[in-house]
Amino acid sequence: MIRGLWDRETVALLLLAALLPMALTWLWFGGVAALGRLALALVISGGWHLVFMLARAQPPSLSGALAALAVAMLAPEDLGLVRLVLGISFGAVFGELVFGGWGRNVVHPATVMLAFLGFGFPAFPWPDLDLPVVWAALPAALIGIAAGVMPLGVIGGAVLAGGLALALGVPGAALWPAAAVVLVLLVADPVTSAHTPLGRWLNGALYAGLLALFALHWADAAPVQMAVAAALLAALAAPALDEAALALWSARRRRRHGF
Amino acid sequence: MGFLARHTGLAPVVPTPPAVAESVRPTEEAALTPPGRADLRVEMLVEEGAPVAEGAPVARLREAPEVVLVAPMPARVGRITLRPGRKLTEIVLFREAGGDSVTHALPQTGEPGALRALMQVSGFWTRLRQRPFGVWPGPEDRPAAIAVMAADTRPHAPDPAAALAGAEEDFARGCHALAGLTEGPLLVCAPAPLPGLTGVRHVPVGPRHPQGLAGICLHRSFPARPEHPVWDIAAEDVVHLGRLLATGSLPQTRRVTVSGAALTETRTVICQIGADLRGLTYGATRPGPHRLISGSALDGHPARWLAPWHRQVTVLPEAAPVKARHWFLSALTSSARPRPVIPTAALDQSGGSALPVMALLRALSVGDDETAVALGALSLVEEDLALLDYVVGGAPAPGALLRACLDRVAAEAGA
Repeated sequence: MIRGLWDRETVALLLLAALLPMALTWLWFGGVAALGRLALALVISGGWHLVFMLARAQPPSLSGALAALAVAMLAPEDLGLVRLVLGISFGAVFGELVFGGWGRNVVHPATVMLAFLGFGFPAFPWPDLDLPVVWAALPAALIGIAAGVMPLGVIGGAVLAGGLALALGVPGAALWPAAAVVLVLLVADPVTSAHTPLGRWLNGALYAGLLALFALHWADAAPVQMAVAAALLAALAAPALDEAALALWSARRRRRHGF
Repeated sequence: MGFLARHTGLAPVVPTPPAVAESVRPTEEAALTPPGRADLRVEMLVEEGAPVAEGAPVARLREAPEVVLVAPMPARVGRITLRPGRKLTEIVLFREAGGDSVTHALPQTGEPGALRALMQVSGFWTRLRQRPFGVWPGPEDRPAAIAVMAADTRPHAPDPAAALAGAEEDFARGCHALAGLTEGPLLVCAPAPLPGLTGVRHVPVGPRHPQGLAGICLHRSFPARPEHPVWDIAAEDVVHLGRLLATGSLPQTRRVTVSGAALTETRTVICQIGADLRGLTYGATRPGPHRLISGSALDGHPARWLAPWHRQVTVLPEAAPVKARHWFLSALTSSARPRPVIPTAALDQSGGSALPVMALLRALSVGDDETAVALGALSLVEEDLALLDYVVGGAPAPGALLRACLDRVAAEAGA
């Protein structure tokens, strides 16, 4: 009879609140240029949400702001207006809105935007993240986990597997700042990461494992580029990981109960 | 059950005023109603205006004439409302003070058939619930297991331990009788093993909701299937069964908590089964419009009478009428229903660590019955997903989706 508050927009608001420390630190260090990029991303992303509301009666969501923040922070630099608009439009539409909006998408729209920009315009340099911004990912992750909107398993799996890779001697010193920011912004998205407990740990571990692989065998790639590619592959693998986790759960249940 | 599994679940805050001491409060009217939305075809055994003793049969089921509905108090039959096809809507009874109580002859032999017949003729049978599908068991059904619920984690639910206090002997006798109905185990779901019970399997129950629901306990420890049905029953009713076997008379009372924000006091009352909710809340409601709900704030429904299996009454202030949105905005945003559900920690906890919540919710919302059954939907009824319903804000209404799925599976199994 009574109703809770955990609908889609509450989760989006809490995610925005969790990312706020990182966003503010990034704006502080990025100055007017960062603010301009964020405003542009917000306007384009919001515009597409509006178009889909008018054309397809899909309610707009605050998730557009999450994607806009991620793409503003991580997009290659000096792209120019047209390329940026093209990339953000592609990601917002084909990453999220054509599936029916946030909650029904397969890959984080910002991952699609960044992958599109990275593959489409490889000549432009990827950004270097300031260390304070990277450290601000820590409170962001903690708030997200405490509020229950970021999956603990994904972050835990990534940290454990990443730590193991570093302990085994994988050269990750230059990679970890970008990896941490991408983990919080793109990989720990509740919708596109795995949703079973085991699947989440595997999803986080897969992200870190892919990063380790890229660190070892992908020469001449920027850290953010590697992290975005790993995030994309990890999100695409998430349903398979969930399927595997559920198959394991069913098998255990069958052994225990006989069916 | 590990520490983590034991402490999963949520503790939703449902405001209620301070509690007062327990009291015996039979209401002047009571009614016999069908469980849930079931179409219950009945054959009346009394007419309007006829006097009936406590425990006397009032109607019997058409498909199973052995199973009778009995009067929960000495009364006069006030009104019988049947829909076309003799489908029961309600049988209203007016209490008459000083009436008789029916005493049954006890079976002399320990034969299970005689015991079963006594349970059916005394009205005890309708206190059982069969899973899958959440229905009254058929007269000849044999369950694969029976779960006795000596725990309830719904907000402001009556403590089953209070019903067991001082009645351990009756409870043990009732458990022994129930164990004779099944070839499988008798599961006693309680926070800690109950003393003095032999031959039962203890199922530990954590302190948070929804761990104290029969569906969650069964999903974890003994899943139900159509060919292996599982029955569940509240511990208080098992005590009553024990008393029936000792005295020949089945107590027709129930410990019920009356709580909610629209009250001036939270009551624990002992009333008859099918009690009038207005009688139970009389003198304790705050001024202003309010809603009377049979069941807890999470899984209840607006009602006039205490529904079968319910042990809680909730009184909530009437919500302010929702202002209609402009038709244009409504048209622009309303087609994307049911709204997508975002997996959060609250959603995971609402399955009490027993259910793969998100997978089940996705299977239910796309109508994938096969996957839902594989994930354990047959052990559940609507009340087991009520917390999930609360967490996701009622869209896409997991309880209703589960009922639709169970109805389809039942139709298929019956075909």
